[in-house]
Amino acid sequence: MNGRAEAVATAPRNGEPWSLSQLFKACSRTFTALDPLRFAGALLFIAVWELASLFISPIILPGPFSVLRRAAADFWSAPALSYYGVEDPSLAANLAYTAENVAIAALIGAAIGVTLGLLSARVWFVRAAMNPIMMTAGTVPILIAAPFLLIWFGVGRASAVSLVAFYIVVILYVSSQRAALNLDPIYENSALTLGAHRGRMLRDILIPGTIPEILGGVRIALAGAWGLEAVSELLGSQSGIGKVLEVLAGATDPQGILATLLVLGCAAILTDGLAATLIARFAAWRFAGS
Amino acid sequence: MPTETSRRMIELVHLGRNYTRADGQRVSAVDDVSLIVPEGEFLCLIGPSGCGKSTLLQMMAGLVGPSSGAIVVDGKEIDGPGRERGMVFQRDSVFPWMRVIENVEYGLKCRGVAAGARRDIARDYLKRVGLSHVERAWPRELSGGMLKRVAIAAVFANGGEVLLLDEPFGALDYVTRRQLQEVLLDLWEEPGRAVPTVVFVTHDVDEALLLADRIVAMRNGAIVDDIPVGAARPRDTDTLLLQDMVAIKHRLLGHLGRAQAARGAAGARGAA
Amino acid sequence: MTDASRQQLVSLSVFAALAIAWEILSCVYTVEAQPGEPMVAGWGTLFTRTLLSLSDYWQGGLGVPAVADGAPRSYLAALLSIISHSLATLARLASGLVLGGVFGLALGLAVSWSPWSRRLVQLPTQFLRALPLLAMVPLFQLWFGTYFYGQVLFVSYGVGMIVFAGVVNAVRNVPQIYIDNARVLGASRAHLYRTVILPAILPSMRSVVLLSLGAGWGAVLAAEYLGAQSGLGYIIVYAQQFGLLDRMFLIALLFILYTSASYWVIERLFTRLLAWSPSSQAASR
Repeated sequence: MNGRAEAVATAPRNGEPWSLSQLFKACSRTFTALDPLRFAGALLFIAVWELASLFISPIILPGPFSVLRRAAADFWSAPALSYYGVEDPSLAANLAYTAENVAIAALIGAAIGVTLGLLSARVWFVRAAMNPIMMTAGTVPILIAAPFLLIWFGVGRASAVSLVAFYIVVILYVSSQRAALNLDPIYENSALTLGAHRGRMLRDILIPGTIPEILGGVRIALAGAWGLEAVSELLGSQSGIGKVLEVLAGATDPQGILATLLVLGCAAILTDGLAATLIARFAAWRFAGS
Repeated sequence: MPTETSRRMIELVHLGRNYTRADGQRVSAVDDVSLIVPEGEFLCLIGPSGCGKSTLLQMMAGLVGPSSGAIVVDGKEIDGPGRERGMVFQRDSVFPWMRVIENVEYGLKCRGVAAGARRDIARDYLKRVGLSHVERAWPRELSGGMLKRVAIAAVFANGGEVLLLDEPFGALDYVTRRQLQEVLLDLWEEPGRAVPTVVFVTHDVDEALLLADRIVAMRNGAIVDDIPVGAARPRDTDTLLLQDMVAIKHRLLGHLGRAQAARGAAGARGAA
Repeated sequence: MTDASRQQLVSLSVFAALAIAWEILSCVYTVEAQPGEPMVAGWGTLFTRTLLSLSDYWQGGLGVPAVADGAPRSYLAALLSIISHSLATLARLASGLVLGGVFGLALGLAVSWSPWSRRLVQLPTQFLRALPLLAMVPLFQLWFGTYFYGQVLFVSYGVGMIVFAGVVNAVRNVPQIYIDNARVLGASRAHLYRTVILPAILPSMRSVVLLSLGAGWGAVLAAEYLGAQSGLGYIIVYAQQFGLLDRMFLIALLFILYTSASYWVIERLFTRLLAWSPSSQAASR
């Protein structure tokens, strides 16, 4: 309850012109976001890395610029990969394969996890039945299921997607259950006294009220999903970033590995940014005015 | 102000509500309450905490079912909540994921009123409570007093015949409380529409005296007093100094005080 | 029957039902990966034949010869193999947790010493955290080989990143009023760190430790899957290559037991440690 004021401060609304003080505030906020010290830190990191690579053999630690060049070169076409049995010899194609799997798993996992989670918050029986399974699954690394899935589904998309989907189901189940349980019952009561019938509760109260926390869970789940997908591919796959990593490791190619990791990292950052944008769009009501 | 010929808007018939405590004991929160509230009356329910006034209000709203007895509103026995009995809660109930204007028009939206029409009505009520400038704001950006105005505007915009308020101003400071009391009375006495019947729960005797046509005092789940307040409106703090008002105040404090004394004695007995 | 005990009954029934369903499945689905090695082994088989078969993984010693040397399978050998491989896994995990925890804590506190240093390292650490941990196994194997210390370094890297970020965040969130209070009472910077900051970040360390534990288990498993010669993960992957689902299942059950127990222990520990904390986090579980 801190920071509430009678007058609504900061940005003007509905097309009114900016006052001088509002303009100054917006500028200073942008400046702190583009913190020069942070940029200095990034540059320092690259400089130290380059310096270290000069002293350490490139077989162990390739320099940042060589890694960057390799990533750019291999991105659209890396014919060397085809020697090792990689189906589509380029970083982009394999990244696409990995990303596709993550996306499919995310959709399936979200659909199941959120539905079960919301349901479990409202129906005690579902909660009592599913919680022990989900909570136990939450403590065990989902990776334990990977070898089993490889035997059941063989080498291919199905085993990786089901592994990642299961991971996402568990995380989103917990997120949405907690979000729904934390939703103050006063909102439902208020809606009822305003004349809403029970059928509107899901659309007007439950979903809008739980979306910020669920999206937060999605963001967390995505971060782990990339790694899990990569490992599943490392264990057994013909395509994907994991496969590329496995191949390059076998060929003792640290430059290639670092380049691939760089590309993977960028993809993970991109999806994280996407999730953050979604949160900003749909959860503005939670964080607005701060 | 209701007259002799006003019809009965709310009728509580031998209403009772029991709870079973964790240790198995049965507690009666509301104990055989019968009450008639005529149309257009501003009724205050007053009593110490735990006297059952909030439970009674929740039953009138239809959010809690009675253990015994019935509630009849406008000739029909109630069965659950409905828009004809709007409610303003003590805690913030404004939906945080909707902007202020969307909150005020929510009830109208549920009823199927067209977008343009309901926006106009909502804007009108926001103007009446003095919040036109925050029409597009998120509830998170508003103060407690402003959120209360939004809640009141939303309930009035919905146009129910009965208005239930559960210690709505309890969490606010004195000045804001006085302002909101004025806002409430302005909307209540709005010319050109039927005067809603109001049941206002409070533990503040001065508030009850300033607002009510009639004060009903409760203790231990039962009604212990029923006092008409005849003072003319508009009332202000000077009205509270009138002899009649002071007499009513003493009478009410007597009920509250007795409850305090009884609890004090029970506490002393329990501690011994 | 109270709500809580009703819930517990349902939960227990679910586990019981799963166990029964498994047994029924084992009777129905009698396919064998190899003669004598059923794909879905019933509980009886699991704790007799499958358990015995685990003695294959005992390398010999302590007066019990290895099956690979021609000795017959025995429960003793099976027990020894379970213990030795569990110890290997647990040793990797514990070492990684301690190493990563200590370094993460030290670096986190050091970086938090001044707001300049925090902003300086912000972008590089954010990028490193964005790199999926499990995808870095090949890199660590390339750098450190598949030896014990390589796996420990991998686990400590993952744990260290989490602890570092958690500590920096926690120090940042220490209510300024505690710091002001200590300063006004004359505390030096170092004294402030020791007596105010460290205790103040302890409640948030609970979730950091639990997160590190989860990441640690995942990292150990991944490292053992992808190139270890001992450990539970090694057994699972080795058995997987022959399709020996029953052995995989038994080891997986054991693994689940270990992870659940470790979480339980840590949560108990923190409930004790945080008994003084007014924060709801410690009490809510």
